[in-house]
Amino acid sequence: MHRIFSFFLFALLSLNFASASSVYHEQLVLQPLPLSALLASFNFRSSTALSAFEAHNFRFFPRSLGQILQHADTRELHLRFTLGRWDAESWGARPWDGAREGGTGVELWAWLEAETDEEADQKWLTLTNALSGLFCASLNFIDGTRTTRPVMSFQPEGDHPNSTVNNMHLLYGVLPHEVVCTENLTPFLKLLPCKSKAGIATLLDGHKLFDASWQSMAIDVRPVCPDGQGCRLEIEQTIDMVLDIERSKRPRDNPIPRPAPGHELKCDTSKPYHADDTCFPADYSTSQDWSLSQLFGKTIERPCPLTDPGVPPVCLNVPDSRTVFVSHGVVEKKNPDGMSRCFDIPPEVDFNLSLPGPEQKEGEEGNGQIEVTSDLVKSKTPLLYAERSFTGHGQERGGVQTMLRNPSPDNEVEFIYMESLPWFMRIYLHTMDARIEGSYGHNSSNSLIEEVYYRPALDRARGTQLEVRMRIPPASTVFLTYDFEKSILRYTEYPPDANRGFDVAAAVITILNSDKSSPRFAAYNLRTTSLLCSLPTPDFSMPYNVIIFTSTAIALAFGGMFNILVRRFVAADEGPESNLKAAGQRLKGRLATLFERLRNKRAGVVAEKQPAPAPQ
Amino acid sequence: MSARQPLQDIQDGTAVTAKDGAQPAISSATPTSSRKQPPPEKPSDIRRRSLVILSFWLIVLCLGLPIWWKTTTIYRANLPLQEMLDWADGKACRPVFPLHIAIQANSLQEQEAQNLVRLTQHALDDLNDFSGHHLRLQLSPPSGDKKPASDHSAALTIRLVPGDSTTSALDQYAPVLDITYPPNTIPSPTSSSSSLATYVASQLRSTFAEEQTIISYLLSSSSSTPPEHRAQGLTPEAAELLSKRTTRSLKYAPTYHLTFSLFTSGPLPSSWDIEAATDEYMKPVLDVLAPIHNFTIDTQVQLYATPGVQNQVLSKEDLSSFINAAEWPLSPSIGGAPTVNFVVFVGNQTIMAPPTTSEGADSELPTFQSFLIPQWGTVYLLPLPHNTPHLSVAMLKQPLLTFTSHLLSLTGAPQSGSLPLRLSTLARIRSADLLLRASSTLGSLARLSLALPSISIPSSVADGVSKTMAHLRLACETLGGADGLAHARIAESEAERAFFEKSMVGQLYFPDEHKIAVYLPLLGPVAVPLLMGLLNEIKAWRKRRRERAEKGAEKKAK
Repeated sequence: MHRIFSFFLFALLSLNFASASSVYHEQLVLQPLPLSALLASFNFRSSTALSAFEAHNFRFFPRSLGQILQHADTRELHLRFTLGRWDAESWGARPWDGAREGGTGVELWAWLEAETDEEADQKWLTLTNALSGLFCASLNFIDGTRTTRPVMSFQPEGDHPNSTVNNMHLLYGVLPHEVVCTENLTPFLKLLPCKSKAGIATLLDGHKLFDASWQSMAIDVRPVCPDGQGCRLEIEQTIDMVLDIERSKRPRDNPIPRPAPGHELKCDTSKPYHADDTCFPADYSTSQDWSLSQLFGKTIERPCPLTDPGVPPVCLNVPDSRTVFVSHGVVEKKNPDGMSRCFDIPPEVDFNLSLPGPEQKEGEEGNGQIEVTSDLVKSKTPLLYAERSFTGHGQERGGVQTMLRNPSPDNEVEFIYMESLPWFMRIYLHTMDARIEGSYGHNSSNSLIEEVYYRPALDRARGTQLEVRMRIPPASTVFLTYDFEKSILRYTEYPPDANRGFDVAAAVITILNSDKSSPRFAAYNLRTTSLLCSLPTPDFSMPYNVIIFTSTAIALAFGGMFNILVRRFVAADEGPESNLKAAGQRLKGRLATLFERLRNKRAGVVAEKQPAPAPQ
Repeated sequence: MSARQPLQDIQDGTAVTAKDGAQPAISSATPTSSRKQPPPEKPSDIRRRSLVILSFWLIVLCLGLPIWWKTTTIYRANLPLQEMLDWADGKACRPVFPLHIAIQANSLQEQEAQNLVRLTQHALDDLNDFSGHHLRLQLSPPSGDKKPASDHSAALTIRLVPGDSTTSALDQYAPVLDITYPPNTIPSPTSSSSSLATYVASQLRSTFAEEQTIISYLLSSSSSTPPEHRAQGLTPEAAELLSKRTTRSLKYAPTYHLTFSLFTSGPLPSSWDIEAATDEYMKPVLDVLAPIHNFTIDTQVQLYATPGVQNQVLSKEDLSSFINAAEWPLSPSIGGAPTVNFVVFVGNQTIMAPPTTSEGADSELPTFQSFLIPQWGTVYLLPLPHNTPHLSVAMLKQPLLTFTSHLLSLTGAPQSGSLPLRLSTLARIRSADLLLRASSTLGSLARLSLALPSISIPSSVADGVSKTMAHLRLACETLGGADGLAHARIAESEAERAFFEKSMVGQLYFPDEHKIAVYLPLLGPVAVPLLMGLLNEIKAWRKRRRERAEKGAEKKAK
């Protein structure tokens, strides 16, 4: 029941291998999640023969991207734009097992073919600069300090010939501060064969996509060599988004959030105190009713005619028991597992889908909770939960603590934890410690951490790279902690908003596939959230203060010393009368006479006035 | 002893000021006349004070100023400004294209041939009004009967063959002009004129007429050329036509990226046989152009493309906004070289013919199906029946032929003559163009460095300038030949690099107010005591000299 998503993955993969001749397909998978959320997962996959790619003949493969790859000798490329946080506690396992998402911001990793490391760096620079222009992102800021060469965490997804594998260099860069926005979506959509003019891509719109609770755009380019056929270069574009149904529906009639009137409140009627004036908010999932046009503001305008007819363009993961209304002419196909259905859209038909709320069974209020669970396909539990946070206080030192929880009651989890930290966070590797919750013995960490790869930072040249292979026993929580020191930056190295803090990229956790028969390297990927590290920030008027302060000090010291050296000191009555003193005396004299005159006048007035009252 | 002296001075000073502050009433009360004279200063004190002031000023002038100067001056490499301006003004180089023309007359006797060559050269010199473009005739030694002499220095070979009448024909595959003549037109050794010589001269002239006008146009349009060097025979209409053509052609580059794009307004057609079509219709021309330009080709298919103008019939004004630059992925190729775009747009739009017949005579204007965008490429509107899924080679024939001819005019090749001649002319035009361009860039750089005294000029710029000038000199010497193009190309790229040096831009704006704000707090408190000390010392020194002089005079008087 909870393997629906993986089933889909598997179905997609197998379909892909089965119909390699088809060069393009797209699919939208909708899955309602608890708490009034909906996961919409768009997948576009096109491919071109490697020979045509090398001859610069582009058909479904975008030329703009293809040229960049050729220019930088890139054999495999992964680019991620992510925004928001995946709430694993309520939404469960990540889509695509986390393989198609990145940490907050922009993440890029690629395998470049180069003879030497320097050449690879040069090509990486070309690649990031070109991609930066193509996707309107600040990818050109991925310089040496943000680039690492992971050793354990990543493996190529594609099939590479042995001759190139030896010369392939993996480079990984991440920009946690980058804000993903509409200007990144537009070039993303331009890469699609049908653009956003036909097919499921018509639903994508910056306003909706970036209003989502969590969204991730991914581009993966890899060579695929199915047995017995020529190699193909495959580009897979994925957009996953979690929509808040309530929020998405709102703008249609009520763009300003206002409290709902009393009769529209969703109350849990099973509570004993439920009355006309008391309301216990019901679980959101009980009252989901939505349609595509409500959520996305539009319907799917005609299917993309290039897509492989064997892959249904839209699938919905809800139990068979629920009714779904679709546009006229659309064929609904229920999958044998009873938990999902797919829709085939005939050409030139606009597709809309509407999912009414689950039928309320009269007289069964007491059993409301049971009904709720069967209305949704329950998501798989993730293999690992991870939370990372800063510890410590002050501007000088700090610590990082990552809480890793293995929810499985009987399987242990082996994974690689990778951090790429900025150079100004100098970590103390000897303080790195892993302990199981509840135990404080030091011997436990030895068994948890199996392997550490550490490449220390060089100031202003490269960041810290830390890869830790760990194994967590079943049903336990492990704390991985280490301390670091914050270094002081140079005046010009601070960004304009220095007091905001510096973003620290998400930690990448790759859970190794324990099933050795499967070709996949990672069973599950997840990223922690990014962190905001505040560094000691100087007062930025400092240079001017310094200039003025030193000038004053020099003026004091130099002036005094110089005067003492060159002046002759004599008694006060021996020196020449200074002009200033004479002028002061003159002024004083004048003031004195003026004052006198004034006093006399007043005295006169008083004298004049005084006689007047005298007679009275 | 001397070390103790200032200390006492200090004590004296504090005592004085204390007294000063404590008894203002007394001092104000005492009349000025009753002031005591200070005791006379010891001469050693006076000398010491002078030395102190002198040493301070020596430190400031000999150590402070040079250090300040050294650390704050902007590095300006020495540029040969006058020479650069000479290049820009056309004084340094007189672009002369000596074209050697070999005459092959196997059937003539040596003496007769020499005579004919002499007469023809005379006739040519009489006809020629443009000194920059010389045609030099040479008699090539008689060689194998059919093959023209493989003389690479010759721009054109004239093959004189006896025949019935006087005819001329350009060989389509080699730079050879075949001229037949009736035997009786051979000039006698004594005659001073000959109809055959005049005929050959006029044929040569008409063959190179276009090249001459283009080069003279280039020279005259670069405003720097001295006026006496300009060609007189350039009519305004011809100049206008040529300016249209030069603005249309792309800037010279050794490599061009050709991008073929298929844009369709709907989902179909989504594939085309572009590779086979380019091989068939375009490759031959690209192969011929190969000595001058390299080409890379890429192709793409874009569906659901909406043009910038939706009108059924496009007017001339619509054409400029037809390309939907915001949505169509026609970004230039990476790698530095310019991109030429060839767009096939599938749709039933057509282009309105030019409205008046007088303009219609201008065959340059694109008509009906395609139009050329200057320095960018070509758009071909291809009408297709609905639901054509695939474009075959045959369907692409017409668009590709159009593209090929437009490519030639985009590269700036002349329009008349046989293909090999056009290409060799293209090389000469390009080298002249590059030479002039590099010279004018040098001039701009020189003027820039004169106009902005505060701009820094790194040594790389000076390097670039000297390289440019060396190559310009070489190019100027070998202007007619193949080396000329290569040198001019290097000169142009070096000049551009020198002009667009990044570090020159950085310090462009460093206002004087900023300097004052930084220096004033430091210099004010330091400079004022120093200056005042110096002034006082000079005053005291003058006074002492006067006193001494008076004393001397008194002594003498006594």
